[in-house]
Amino acid sequence: MRVIELPPSLEDRTLDQVAAGLGGWPPEPFLLNAHGTTWASPYGLVALLTLGQALAEAKLPRARFAVPESAEAKSYWSRMGFFHWAAEYFDLVGSVRKKAFDNPSDVLLPITPIRAFDDVTNVVGTIQERAQRILSSEINLAPQATVRFVMTLSEVCQNIVEHAGTGGWVAVQTYFWKKRLGRKVVSIAVSDAGIGFRRSLESQASKFGDRWGDGVALEMALMHNVSRYRDPGRGQGLYHIRHYLSRWQGKISVRSGTARITIIPPWDDDQSLAEQLPFFPGSQVQITIPAQEGGDTQ
Amino acid sequence: MMQRIDLAPLLRETVATPYSDLVTRSTGAALRCRIEATISSAPHRTTLLDFTAVGLMDFSCADEVVAKLLLRVAGEEEHYVLLAGVSENHVEAIGQVLERHGLSVAALALGEGLPRLLGCTSPDLAVAFQAIQRVGAGDAKRLADHLGWTVERAADALQSLALRRLIQAAGGTFRPLPLPALP
Repeated sequence: MRVIELPPSLEDRTLDQVAAGLGGWPPEPFLLNAHGTTWASPYGLVALLTLGQALAEAKLPRARFAVPESAEAKSYWSRMGFFHWAAEYFDLVGSVRKKAFDNPSDVLLPITPIRAFDDVTNVVGTIQERAQRILSSEINLAPQATVRFVMTLSEVCQNIVEHAGTGGWVAVQTYFWKKRLGRKVVSIAVSDAGIGFRRSLESQASKFGDRWGDGVALEMALMHNVSRYRDPGRGQGLYHIRHYLSRWQGKISVRSGTARITIIPPWDDDQSLAEQLPFFPGSQVQITIPAQEGGDTQ
Repeated sequence: MMQRIDLAPLLRETVATPYSDLVTRSTGAALRCRIEATISSAPHRTTLLDFTAVGLMDFSCADEVVAKLLLRVAGEEEHYVLLAGVSENHVEAIGQVLERHGLSVAALALGEGLPRLLGCTSPDLAVAFQAIQRVGAGDAKRLADHLGWTVERAADALQSLALRRLIQAAGGTFRPLPLPALP
């Protein structure tokens, strides 16, 4: 059995290592080894669930999943509800608490499945009060900006229901991002096991000829507001998200298939478009907003 | 006569939700269908959509509820839509989706006595719209005198406002949309 080693720190960029370990799609049966993983962002966790879900939906053998050795990592992953959902898709190796915690104090939104519009309504309804409190006190966002944050969350979750063709996952968390930023951030992570941007926008392919692929599809969706629906009101979700993030020096990164597109804020040095990445199923969105100057940065 | 539609109770009748938020395109489309049915069942020329007690509104829902409703009533002869009870969040969502469609609507924000213009506008339209709310009914000359504009400039602005159903026009005179009685 192939063993895919998870990186010590699992987040948007290091997910590529996991994708490379799959060796293409469909992958041979494998074991995901998280033994040495000490930290994972919400993005990393929802992406792992997407991998398990994609295997199940493709009727491929369940993967085994060796849980982290780090007690701190296990505790955080449990609080986020990761093991609760992972048990549905992976054969877990190692002892963990699978039951999801009820409303842990340090989690803005634990990992939540999004399968229908009602799930989006419930996410928005439940997170508002907590988001107002935590984002104003920890990220120093003005009240109107916290409202826009929830609107952003609503739009990005709806994209799963409208475009993926299957369910997905969302999680929201604040954490101190010492390594890259030295500040606290709030992060929205959304991942689905669906058809991806290229297939969703396939009607555009003829305009691009040989250039058509995951990267161009992402560019069309994020930079040019193109939607597969002809209705002129469509395609606004990502536009409004970009507009909001530019005001708060936020970052959005969208990975789909073999490409990743990023709107880069001044504090980051990411690549704006990365193509020919190793394939990972579905689509993943990472939205990061740093604590604003003058706020609590500890 | 004005028809008043309270959106918060209509939302709860339309979709089984404990929340008062107008979110998701699906919710917006279902609510708009109810609004359209309500409009069709009454003879009123003016419909007031009351957002009081509506919580958060996202862009997709604003597109379905407001933009698509305006597009629909644009096909009807002399039907006017006015919004009331809108919060800053609603103003932002509605304003941005209407701009995308090239539409505009008059809206009474919470706690304000005169409506403001949301969506697609121009400096002249915005000034003329605000002026006619204060000056009241009249013709282009009256507005021109009030603003120090030429009559042609005032007539152009009034004509554009009337075409957008933001004011009422009749026989060369113009009047603001009727406002709801204050509680």
